[in-house]
Amino acid sequence: MTAIEISGLTKQFGTLIAVSEMSLSIDREIFGLLGPNGSGKTTTVKMLTTLITPTAGDAWICGHSILSNPKQVREQISYVPQDMAVDPKLTGRENVIFYAKLYGIPRPHETADEALAMLELADRADDLTRTYSGGMRRRLELAQALVHDPEVLFLDEPTIGLDVGGRRRIWDHIISLKNKGMTVFVTTHYMDEADHACDRVGIIDRGTVVASDRPAQLKADVCRDIVAIRADGAFTGTFPDDITYLGQSGDELRFEAVNGEEAGIALSRLMAEYGMQVRSVSIRQPTLDDVFLALVGEQDESTAFDFQRFRTMLRRRI
Amino acid sequence: MRETLYYMERDFRRWSRGKINVISALILPAAWLIFVGLALPIRFTDNYLDFITPGILVLTMLGASLQGGALLMFDKILGFLQKFLAMPAPRESILFGKILFITLRGMIQTTIILVMAIILGAQFLDPLLLVQTYLVLFIFGLLLSSFMTTVALSLEDHDSYAAFNSMIAMPLFFTSSALMPYDQMPGWLATIAHLNPVSYAIDAIRALQEGIFPAFTIAGLLIGAAIVLSISVYVFRRATI
Repeated sequence: MTAIEISGLTKQFGTLIAVSEMSLSIDREIFGLLGPNGSGKTTTVKMLTTLITPTAGDAWICGHSILSNPKQVREQISYVPQDMAVDPKLTGRENVIFYAKLYGIPRPHETADEALAMLELADRADDLTRTYSGGMRRRLELAQALVHDPEVLFLDEPTIGLDVGGRRRIWDHIISLKNKGMTVFVTTHYMDEADHACDRVGIIDRGTVVASDRPAQLKADVCRDIVAIRADGAFTGTFPDDITYLGQSGDELRFEAVNGEEAGIALSRLMAEYGMQVRSVSIRQPTLDDVFLALVGEQDESTAFDFQRFRTMLRRRI
Repeated sequence: MRETLYYMERDFRRWSRGKINVISALILPAAWLIFVGLALPIRFTDNYLDFITPGILVLTMLGASLQGGALLMFDKILGFLQKFLAMPAPRESILFGKILFITLRGMIQTTIILVMAIILGAQFLDPLLLVQTYLVLFIFGLLLSSFMTTVALSLEDHDSYAAFNSMIAMPLFFTSSALMPYDQMPGWLATIAHLNPVSYAIDAIRALQEGIFPAFTIAGLLIGAAIVLSISVYVFRRATI
């Protein structure tokens, strides 16, 4: 049975279509949903975690419909929202035991201790969480989420606001959970992290998934190699057909080609022929950032901010 | 039901660790009890302390409920509510846990005020009177905390809640029968006081002091609490689903 099956999922807030006709199938993998601010990532997660009801379509978590069996869905999942919410006046252990009790775990104290040990928080378990660092709080939230051993874990921007070490630790834990058979649905802004950790990513723009595949495949499909050449003088000729001129910043000219190395040699020869002084040639493999920008483009925030619409959306989104 | 108790336990743990919260809620009723109960030159009764103690007990419960309504709002603002709603525990248990916590916290605070009143000379030591007084305070607490939680769910931010809170707190108290009997009030005030739910709770405790069981008043409070609680559940479901 597929862990997450999404079919035609749509959410509309008034005239705003937050998520449009989303269909995805996710199973025993880390799936990253990437997209600019306001693209529909959080709305998607909230529909899948039964916090808001879709306008159209449905999704099944471990075979249970989010529309007709929301309680069964909630038994299979855990959700860690973007805003960190741990009780600062409770200790780490109390925070986790509280969740273990709510989930109806038979031995809440022992299970909480196991979750705390797994997230490397055992030695600080009896300290109030207001003394925890951001990374520790995030790990504590993971411990709370894992206390009932969910089939599917939803994480909304799990590494936002954390330092490099904190981020790496969170991802190490997420990867080890996937290796144990858990399905992880994660939204993130950090392309490098998604590239490194996600088995598959979906890129969402204005509520529509514009691409979904393995990061390596997306990079191969969407972007070619980037060639950057620093040279003095102006180029007056024409570039070969299989090389695309991307633009110039300062004395650096940027091109896109299927084979970056060959294109770099060809271009530097051509420029020398036209009397230019080539100073350096560098070839860069495309990153998920390039894929993202190619598919979504630079987001201009030129449209006027509609406060009334924003408020309506927030109120309905919880 | 179990989940309701877990949510309540969480709030009690948090409350017990914020020392200023525990003390601050007692200052105002204690001040009323001492400065008004003992110092006001009153002619209509020989024992004003006995007369005003029910009013101060209800005021304590009123203050606890007004303060408590914002708790659910903070759970919503700080992101706790989202996490709770994504769990299989019945969603209403979040609301019931909060209302029960606010009410029981109010009862702890009224106990402290009651002990102070007894030390100052109020006659409240009869066990039956105490049990029945707690019953009235509990029902009144349920009514008020359900109402304030509903208000908090309906308002958008804490500032609006604080404004609403300060708007109703003193008028509710002053237009009740807390400070003087109905026959001592101007006619217009007596009319308002007869409609004020705060008066119902105070009158019920005063009747108990006189050895009368105020079945109708308690039934009125119970019906009121049931109606407001139902509205609260309705608003909660609308706000979260």
